[in-house]
Amino acid sequence: MKKHIIIVACLAAALSAGLVAFLLRVNFMPPEAAAQAGPVDRLFDLLLVVAAVVFALCLVGLVYSAVVFRRRRGDAADGPPWHGHVPIEVAWTIVPLVIVLFFSVYGAVVLKDITRPSGPIPELEVRVTASQWSWRFEYPEYQVASSELRLPVNRPVLLRLHATDVIHSFWVPEFRSKQDAVPGMDTILRITPNRTGEYKVECAEMCGIAHAYMLAPVRVVEPSAFEQWAREQKR
Amino acid sequence: MAIPQDRHVEDRPAINRLGLWLFILSDGFLFVVLLTTRFYMQGVQRPAEVNQPLGLAISIVLLLSSLFAYRGETAAAYGDVKRFRRNILVTIGLGALFLAGVVIEWAEGFHFFPPQSTAYGTVFFTLTGFHAFHVVTGLLALVIILLPGQQKRLQSGNHWGVEAMVKYWHFVDVAWVFIFPTLYLVS
Amino acid sequence: MSIVSLGIVRGLMSGALGAGLATGLTMLARSALGAPAWDAGQVTTIAVFVGVFFYLGGLGAFNYWLRWIAGRPDPEHASPPRPHWARYFSFDTNHKTIGVQYMVTSLLVIIIAGILQLIDRLETAQPGMQFLSTNTYNTLMSVHGISMLAAVLIGIAGMMNYVLPLMVGAKDMAFPRLNALSYWIVPPAVILLLVSLPTGGFDTGWTGYPPLSVKAPLGMQFMILAFYIVGWSSILGGVNFLTTIFKMRAPGMSLFRMPIFVWAVVATSVLQIIFTQFVGIAFLMVLLQRLLGLTYFDPNTGKVLLFQHLFWFYSHPAVYIFVLPGLGVISEVLPVFSRKPLFGYKAVAISSLGIAGGGALVWGHHMFAAGVESWLVVPFMFTTSLVAVPTGVKIFSWLATMWMGKIWLQTPMLFAISAIAVFLIGGITGVPQGIVPVDLYLTDTYWIVGHFHATLFGGFVFPAMAAIYFWFPKVTGRLMGERLGKLHWGLMTAGFLTTYMPMFWLGLNGMRRRVADYDPAMGLGPGNVVVTVGGFLIALSMLLFFINLTVSLRRGAPAPANPWGAHTLEWQVSSPPPEENFAAPPKVVGPPYGYGAPTAVHAVLSPEDDAGRKQG
Ligand code: HEA
Ligand code: HEA
Ligand code: CUA
Ligand SMILES: [Cu+2]
Repeated sequence: MKKHIIIVACLAAALSAGLVAFLLRVNFMPPEAAAQAGPVDRLFDLLLVVAAVVFALCLVGLVYSAVVFRRRRGDAADGPPWHGHVPIEVAWTIVPLVIVLFFSVYGAVVLKDITRPSGPIPELEVRVTASQWSWRFEYPEYQVASSELRLPVNRPVLLRLHATDVIHSFWVPEFRSKQDAVPGMDTILRITPNRTGEYKVECAEMCGIAHAYMLAPVRVVEPSAFEQWAREQKR
Repeated sequence: MAIPQDRHVEDRPAINRLGLWLFILSDGFLFVVLLTTRFYMQGVQRPAEVNQPLGLAISIVLLLSSLFAYRGETAAAYGDVKRFRRNILVTIGLGALFLAGVVIEWAEGFHFFPPQSTAYGTVFFTLTGFHAFHVVTGLLALVIILLPGQQKRLQSGNHWGVEAMVKYWHFVDVAWVFIFPTLYLVS
Repeated sequence: MSIVSLGIVRGLMSGALGAGLATGLTMLARSALGAPAWDAGQVTTIAVFVGVFFYLGGLGAFNYWLRWIAGRPDPEHASPPRPHWARYFSFDTNHKTIGVQYMVTSLLVIIIAGILQLIDRLETAQPGMQFLSTNTYNTLMSVHGISMLAAVLIGIAGMMNYVLPLMVGAKDMAFPRLNALSYWIVPPAVILLLVSLPTGGFDTGWTGYPPLSVKAPLGMQFMILAFYIVGWSSILGGVNFLTTIFKMRAPGMSLFRMPIFVWAVVATSVLQIIFTQFVGIAFLMVLLQRLLGLTYFDPNTGKVLLFQHLFWFYSHPAVYIFVLPGLGVISEVLPVFSRKPLFGYKAVAISSLGIAGGGALVWGHHMFAAGVESWLVVPFMFTTSLVAVPTGVKIFSWLATMWMGKIWLQTPMLFAISAIAVFLIGGITGVPQGIVPVDLYLTDTYWIVGHFHATLFGGFVFPAMAAIYFWFPKVTGRLMGERLGKLHWGLMTAGFLTTYMPMFWLGLNGMRRRVADYDPAMGLGPGNVVVTVGGFLIALSMLLFFINLTVSLRRGAPAPANPWGAHTLEWQVSSPPPEENFAAPPKVVGPPYGYGAPTAVHAVLSPEDDAGRKQG
């Protein structure tokens, strides 16, 4: 019995180590391009690590039992009549409870972090209008409108979303968070782009025939370039 | 070998009763959904044109009908077929009166808060509509237990049918007890 | 015997007649009121309701009730034992017939829904549109989703119907006629789901969010009607199961002597009778808005998010409706094939109720990005996380059940083991989704698609396979082919991993769900090819399964009453069981999983039953 437990523990440790190394080494998500992406990714990494450990433990236990304790030919005996063991059962209730509560609290902290208005720089407000199947961006501050989303780097942005027909969802994978645009109400999303480059807004809520193609370019540029673009648009 | 049916210890009345209660529970949630919807869509707003006196009147009618249904059931339990018939007939009459009241309100409602263009109209017609549908099925149930075929069963002391239909009728009434204040009183 | 004497044939003919009549009358009434005679929505809706009613009448579903109304005798088990194939096509009230009917229907729907998505997978294997239009893609995808879920509801009803009365030692369900009715309203629903394809389909996904679903083509309406009907089947089934469990258990079967599967049915049925109303009404509201112009979800006068609240208030608990019976099957299979008692019986029993209760309070986690108030979001994160705990109790108890056992690797056990591993993948990937900031990235990507296929395969598909291999000898009196069964298992497990593991990778790389096409620049092509290949592997394994099923049905070795040496009651009667299960109520004298103690007994049969069993 002790022998089996030790072997399982070693195998599980090895498998978790392998899984964790794999999960953290490989870059699954597109590169971060907003200040809000960092905390989310770190939270997700930790979730992956814990998930890998839990998964490894259970899988090793499962496969090990199936292989090592399999019934041999000619052995018709039953296993030991164990009906349960209260301390163990309490333990495997409490430990997951603690883990998930920890993640909920951590999640709440990160959520607060990425949704609050950040820093002393005034936010750039952009009104985003989603319709089947196009995006439109208005900049009240500059009184311009555009079909591409151009943003100055490192300035907090407040996106005010609304939809004219059905539900759509605003998503730039590099910025991480999504937010639905719902007809009849305004929703908001805060991001602070921190890497210049070209990205795409993708509609992430099923909205009909051309849902797959409801895209718009996003350009994060230097503030001066942004000011110049805004002036040109006005003309 | 023929197996005697009664070898299984089966308490039929208890089984039937539990089944009925579970069904009513489930059906009750239908009204829970609709009542919640009313507050979610409209808060406690209510247009001034809602006909409160008429609402109150038909509520009383429906409650009275429940009283007669109860008397009918008791009579059935004692095997008093004549009294049973009289009471259930009154119940059906009051139920029909209630429906007539709803029809008048619908006519008024279409005028003041049409369901196609006001949120209150939408919740009003949905709630009263679903309830009226229940009243209609309840009336059908009550008519069924008055049919001649049923009397034999009553005389032989089996009044489960009456009990079930009357319970259902009470349920329809209780549902209205919640609907009336939500539609006519709150604001 | 003429074909017209089959209930189903008469039902369908009568249904068609009723629908035709209703169409004519509605059109007449409309023109009498001065409206144009034809309005596709209103006319077909009325035709559907009337048609279903007529169909049931033709089937003979109302005969008993009519007899009751007329005051004539109405025995509960009036169906004469007709032990040949025709009873499966008639209004038969025996729970064993009904169980088989449900299960076969479920498998048929799974084939149809699976093939629809395989077509879609051929399209999405490559970026760019190859041979479908985006609209067709969306429709096939949506019909795939809703039909699969309907198939799951039908499938669990099948397992529960066949096994439950046997397990509790009853001769049938509490309300056999209602039970038959619950089954027989399902075929029209399946037909309606298929009708939605040629009537324009619907491109909303299975969730059917308005306002999109209000604008969707006529197909949407058939989907709504179909789901509404399946919902009623589900509610009536739940009432029946609960009554059976609480009023018809054999003497001596206290609550904590019930097999775990019975506990799972309790939890499932409670969820069914309470929550199904919510989705029913939500869909009816969409229907009413479409047909009569009511304004529930109108952005100006209504509330768009109302639908999502109602829908998920059902549909989250529904995911536990889908899996709890399956998890119950795992709990049945494991002790038998590990030759050990179920570890922590009480905790496992109660965890089903815990999952059901907790699952009622988490619906908001599908709406994290939908624009609900932020003070609502965090509580939902906590409740969602908490559901992981009772589920974990189940998983750990299963592992402990296998630990140090004598594991007999027959096909049912192999499927149970796969089910645990696969469900674990699904659960473990569900937890990150429950954490709001992370879900805001994951939501509406293929990560979610991977998550729910893993939970559904682990909680329904694999357990259903385990159940079929496990109870097939009981149902048919023949053993199922072991060699082909193991091949089926291996291929299906491999197919599962090939299909769904890449989905997590795709999702993290930014692949949205419900897209017919994706940007070639994102490098998602290879991953999608793997997914498609995997889908066909699963289909191949299913083909093996059907071959195995049909061959074993004809030529399988005769099965003894208790081929697996199990203790629960259904194995104590002959295979297949007698028409009324038990000649007299058995006496339950001990716990259901007394393996390991040579003298442990769960139940004692009456002398007549015992004699019958020795012959059988
Ligand atoms: C059918 C079954 C099923 C099951 C059982 C589950 C189980 C769970 N689901 Fe899933 N879910 C779906 C089916 C299911 N789901 C479907 C169909 C959708 C998509 C709907 C749609 O939009 O189309 C969905 C979507 C979905 C979402 C919304 C995603 C989105 O659209 O943004 C979320 C978010 O929280 C979620 C979470 C969970 C969680 C936390 C569980 C938990 O119950 C899982 C618990 C299990 C475990 C965690 C594993 C075992 C536990 C242990 C071994 C203990 C130790 C573990 C830890 C400490 C972590 N699910
Ligand atoms: C139990 C439920 C279930 C099951 C089993 C499946 C099975 C499969 N699903 Fe399913 N899927 C859903 C439930 C399910 N799905 C749901 C709810 C959605 C969400 C829809 C939405 O977003 O609205 C979805 C969505 C969904 C998507 C996302 C679509 C999108 O977002 O664009 C994809 C993508 O690949 C997919 C793929 C598959 C594949 C390849 C299978 C394969 O396993 C299928 C394998 C094939 C078969 C099982 C049948 C084949 C059998 C034969 C060929 C045998 C023939 C034999 C005879 C005729 C005798 N599914
Ligand atoms: Cu807009 Cu999808
Ligand atoms: Cu959920």
